[in-house]
Amino acid sequence: MEQDVNRNILIAADESDNSRRAVIYVGKMLGSVKGFKVTVVHVIREPEEDFFPVESEKEKWYREYGRKAETMLEEYKGMLINAGFAPEDVSVRSTLRYCPSMAECILAERDKLEYGTLVVGRKGLSHKEEFLFGSISGKIVRTARNCTVWVVE
Amino acid sequence: MNEDFSQETLHQLASPWLASQRPGHRFNVFRDTSDFYRIEYGDILILNNVPYLVRHNAKEGRFGLDDEVKFWVKRAIDLTTGKTKIIKLVFYEKFLARVGGIEFECFRSPRKEARILNLVGKHPNFMHGFSVPDDKGNIVRIIDLIYGQTLADHVRDMVPGMSHEAYFLNHFKEVLDNYIECVEAVRFLHENGEKHGDVRRDHILLDRDMGRCRWIDFDYNFRHRENMYGYDMFGLGNVLMYLAGMGDVLIADLKRAGSPALTALRDEDMNIVFNNRVANLRKIYPYIPESFNRILMHFSRGANIFYDNTIQLLDDLNEFRSGFPGRQGGI
Repeated sequence: MEQDVNRNILIAADESDNSRRAVIYVGKMLGSVKGFKVTVVHVIREPEEDFFPVESEKEKWYREYGRKAETMLEEYKGMLINAGFAPEDVSVRSTLRYCPSMAECILAERDKLEYGTLVVGRKGLSHKEEFLFGSISGKIVRTARNCTVWVVE
Repeated sequence: MNEDFSQETLHQLASPWLASQRPGHRFNVFRDTSDFYRIEYGDILILNNVPYLVRHNAKEGRFGLDDEVKFWVKRAIDLTTGKTKIIKLVFYEKFLARVGGIEFECFRSPRKEARILNLVGKHPNFMHGFSVPDDKGNIVRIIDLIYGQTLADHVRDMVPGMSHEAYFLNHFKEVLDNYIECVEAVRFLHENGEKHGDVRRDHILLDRDMGRCRWIDFDYNFRHRENMYGYDMFGLGNVLMYLAGMGDVLIADLKRAGSPALTALRDEDMNIVFNNRVANLRKIYPYIPESFNRILMHFSRGANIFYDNTIQLLDDLNEFRSGFPGRQGGI
């Protein structure tokens, strides 16, 4: 029996080149195919309270980062529309979260709306970088359930 | 209560610790500690209505470098109890740390250290203390002095001239027990959502009164990426290698000693971050059991999997420890 394919795609992106490549890839793969809906989500990692000596610096950071994220997401939206997606099939959102693990935060976003496919870029960390800081895409691949994961090189 | 300490009262309280005072001497009294460079020997800090007599600035030695004066850390006497305290004043700094060629953003946070002091309370494997705001709201930490040397120095000085084999077979069991306690303590932090932030061998003191190892200095923090605790895990690996090797096993030292093991060493045998340190100690010291060496190899360039958390590391350490009899049982 043929199962229905969930045609909702979630791209988890930030300002990095690898995220941009992921957006471009989805545009090229699916831009001309009808029936897919894409959401680009940017999870803003809430900086730890320790990072700001005073509260005003924290507020300033949120304001500036929020503006930057908005601009970035609008650009990604434009790229997807230019690649052939109907404007009503592309949405963007950013969410501020406390993220001890970014991979877990991204997967929580996927779970919330039950996207069928999760797309992330791959940074290409060195062995020692992965050891010291962990790999977001690596952890997503290891721990994602109930969805397909595309890791764009 | 906002007690005002007169110069006369301060003279009376401080006299046991000051050999002589010139007539008419007036103490410099600080309730605002923002400008810590101005606070010097013989000055008085009043924090939460408790007077502290400043003795000197703390120093920190690191990896053979001369002791670096930490002007924001004062050794002082609590004049109400006579006890010596370490007083850490507020010093914010942000900088790019560089480890093994990788840069990452670090910062010093008094708030973090205050929070952890509160969290650990009287936990035997941490330094103890509390925080108070000064008159300007600076978060000042007042810490009990720990008497004793670092665990690393303890290992280095254990028995002068002792061979590694004698150390490993006769003494390492005890050192490992101390280390396991330290890892358990870091696990406690992680389970409470805190990183130590600066796990390194000179941040473990062997308290000579309690006979236990205690973590010090939790004010470092860094912007983590995926694994919030990865950098702490890295530090724990380095400490373990140091303890198991009775010091860092460096390529340069092996060359100087003309070690025959050099020819057997491969890239994958080295510390994953520090290219000059050997992780595969069994190639140097063949009596190190394979099961223990496998733990070390998680921190090597050849590692295919890493420890994500302290629980995984502790599982392996405890399993090894339960079957490690040392010399008496023969390994």
